[in-house]
Amino acid sequence: MNSQVPRLAFRSVSVEFGGLRALSDVSFDVSSGEIVGLIGPNGAGKTTAFNVACGFVAPTSGTVEFPDRGVTQPKPHDLASIGVARTLQGVGLFDHLTILENVMAGGQIRPGGGAFRGLLGLPSAGRSERQLTADALAALERLDVAEFAAKLPGSIPYGIAKKVSVARALMGSPTLLLLDEPASGLDERELDEFATLITSLKSDMGVLLVEHNMDFVMPLVDRLVVLNFGEVIASGTSSEVRSHPEVLAAYLGVEQ
Amino acid sequence: MVSIKQFIANRPTSARALATLVATIALLGLAIIVDPLNDTYLATASIMAIAIVGLSLLIGLSGQVSIGNSGFMAIGAFTTAIWAQHHAHFPLLGSMALSVAVSTVAGIVLGLPSTRLRGPYLAGMTLAFAFAIPPFIQSLGTFAGGSGGLYFPTLQTPAWFASAIGEKDNPLAANNTWGAAIAIVVAAVAFFFMANFFHSRSGRAMRLVRDNDVAAELVGVNVARTRVLAFAISAAFAGLAGSLLAIIQSSVLPQTFGVALSIELLSLLVLGGLGTLGGAMIAGLIAAYSDSIVSRINSWTGIDPVSNLGGSLKGIIFGLILIATMLLAPSGLAGLGHRISRFVRSRVAQKKALSVSETP
Amino acid sequence: MIDLLTSRVMGDIFLGVTQGVLYGLIGLSLVIVWQSTNILNFAQGAMAMFATYVGMTLLEHGLNYWACLAISVAAGFVLGGATERVLVRPLYGKPEINSIVVMVGFLGILEAGAIAIWGGTSRMIVSPFSLSYFQHNGKTIFLSPFAILQIAAAVTVMLIVAGLFRFTKLGLQLRAAALAPEVARLLGVRVNRLLTLGWALASAAGAVAAVVISSGFEGLTPTNMDVYFVFGFIAAAVGGLESPLGAVLAGVLIGMLQQFIVDYAPPSWASFSPVLILVVALMIRPQGLFSKQRVRRV
Repeated sequence: MNSQVPRLAFRSVSVEFGGLRALSDVSFDVSSGEIVGLIGPNGAGKTTAFNVACGFVAPTSGTVEFPDRGVTQPKPHDLASIGVARTLQGVGLFDHLTILENVMAGGQIRPGGGAFRGLLGLPSAGRSERQLTADALAALERLDVAEFAAKLPGSIPYGIAKKVSVARALMGSPTLLLLDEPASGLDERELDEFATLITSLKSDMGVLLVEHNMDFVMPLVDRLVVLNFGEVIASGTSSEVRSHPEVLAAYLGVEQ
Repeated sequence: MVSIKQFIANRPTSARALATLVATIALLGLAIIVDPLNDTYLATASIMAIAIVGLSLLIGLSGQVSIGNSGFMAIGAFTTAIWAQHHAHFPLLGSMALSVAVSTVAGIVLGLPSTRLRGPYLAGMTLAFAFAIPPFIQSLGTFAGGSGGLYFPTLQTPAWFASAIGEKDNPLAANNTWGAAIAIVVAAVAFFFMANFFHSRSGRAMRLVRDNDVAAELVGVNVARTRVLAFAISAAFAGLAGSLLAIIQSSVLPQTFGVALSIELLSLLVLGGLGTLGGAMIAGLIAAYSDSIVSRINSWTGIDPVSNLGGSLKGIIFGLILIATMLLAPSGLAGLGHRISRFVRSRVAQKKALSVSETP
Repeated sequence: MIDLLTSRVMGDIFLGVTQGVLYGLIGLSLVIVWQSTNILNFAQGAMAMFATYVGMTLLEHGLNYWACLAISVAAGFVLGGATERVLVRPLYGKPEINSIVVMVGFLGILEAGAIAIWGGTSRMIVSPFSLSYFQHNGKTIFLSPFAILQIAAAVTVMLIVAGLFRFTKLGLQLRAAALAPEVARLLGVRVNRLLTLGWALASAAGAVAAVVISSGFEGLTPTNMDVYFVFGFIAAAVGGLESPLGAVLAGVLIGMLQQFIVDYAPPSWASFSPVLILVVALMIRPQGLFSKQRVRRV
């Protein structure tokens, strides 16, 4: 058992959409230094779980907590300030902003960005903005995609765009990273790169990811949480889950 | 020796201030040289450019379409006019500041529903607002002048200014130049602030909300507050433009600020180029000179200017240009200029590359 | 019983309903266009005005009122279809602002064009129905033969539209084309033709409203439909852009509310009341009061 305070905790979370139960009594947590995979067949409630975690959907009962910050059910725009970053399905970039600006957007909550300072063009705002530009460039360089800084998202390869969305998420120095289908649409080589990247991140933060690609998830994660019809049917290490009868049933339709 | 590029990169605000100062001096010089008629055009151009750049922020940056900014201009104009009407003392800056404050509040109030409404709903709501404002002002009765509007003396050309520009004996000319000078200086300050904002983090927050509001929330942008802020700033600029208009014309009429003015603002903005400062300046100039251009067309084609066709020619041309711009060149004149310069540069680069490869 | 009809409250209801059905009718045509193409047609009122000029100016050449009305409606039908073909088709799949700007530009052209062709002064259009209110025992019942025509015309158009949408294959195809154009195409629905038809129908319905409006006290001017467009939009928005019946009901409701405010509240309230109704209604239910659709966020 991990003795430290978890970064994210689902406590008996249930969500209903007009009588339809999307999540029922879901509990799990994510701590710093571990990668947790949230898996399950289509319609199992993975995306709903992510949306509840980010405050886009309110739970019908139960709570989502960020215990180390003492925050319960924050609003989506408060996530960045409590050290939570999330990537979106696809790439979720801003279409009419350059790649550099897209990454700079990850530092939106840094001090010195107020509207009045902006209008007046105060030197402090300028300094903060120049630092942000430099940091964003450094982030792009770290991921080896700095050459695309001036391009628009529509004109770069999909794999690069995915990296950019991770670079943006890292700009806020998060302590919890939520990755929504990070592997979708990537080729073999890119998948390997991504796995290495995500593994390299976990020393500083907790990572929760939703993924379909089992070949990608299984070796990567420390723990798995398996959802089916909105319920947690299994959780544990990859090998524990792999042999779990209910998981096999859910994935393969095998009758026990 | 610091190069110009480095200076702009390291001290962007100072660079903008310097550019604004140079442009202001040049325009003031122009205002002194040209005849009184062109002075009124310069004043109109400055005023319209302020309103249009405010609309540009709202539509171009934050992605919220408003057909209601004529209403904010009306609020700004009537705030100034009512002050001038009911007070013996008329401080220029004070009345402009009050107009900006009142229209900002109006902008926040109208902007609040924008946190829940999108696209056509929002545009339609702003249209309804623009539609309601002139009759509302008329219904305020004598306080706001009713349907006859308000007339008041505001502009008194200082003696030093008249003698400085050598028009001491020609009060009309001096007055027009003084009005143009005020409008130019106010517009310059307004554009300086707007240029800062366009390049600030708050300005970027608006573009984030426009492009992808979910992703914007996830990087910590308060989407609702950002949308309302865009309305507030846009209304502040419209109110300032309205206040200046009242000051320059020494009169206000509720009917001036109808839906037609909102449509004109939108047309000019699209024509100049959405979300760009240069586009708003071009649009301001077009606004000022459109009447004289249309009368040129009238005399050139032999259309009687007081005939039905002559009187509505401007509306028809505006509408046609608006549709043509949107269907053929959505980035407007500013975008067109940008595209042409890029095309020329790429051709030059190509030629250079060719000549380089040809030399062994 | 008859005494009740001359009461102040009943008078307000009559006047409100007479006005409100017209808002509802314009609202209805906005809903048809919105449902078929997801565009808010800012030129809806102006198109109806233009069609009315085309038909009703023939009155001055001795043509019968009903023939002129038929020509106006036909002109509206053609204008609507042509607009969709020429102006609207290039806008599909483009950002929302493009369609807003183009339709606003078209509004400007139509109004200026009407002035250019027919002049800006108001024209009286005399319908075969009297505009004077019924009297009873020296008291006024705020209904006139013309008001009854107004209501009857609006109800007729609404029934025709409802019949088309509910009970014919056409209505089903129109809705399918709007909801899932690709699927509809695969099923053999001629989507493009249907979208044109949707615009033509909406514009024809608008023309009926404009003819009736122009036959009233205010007469026909190039801008007389502006106010009706605004109120029609408010009706459509309050009704929830998706619901034809909602637009009609909201229109009648707004007409009555406005009449009661005009009668009982200070005059400065009247100009702002519709905007307030819109804002309040949209704050309570952003998707409209009568729409079944849920608002989705993520």
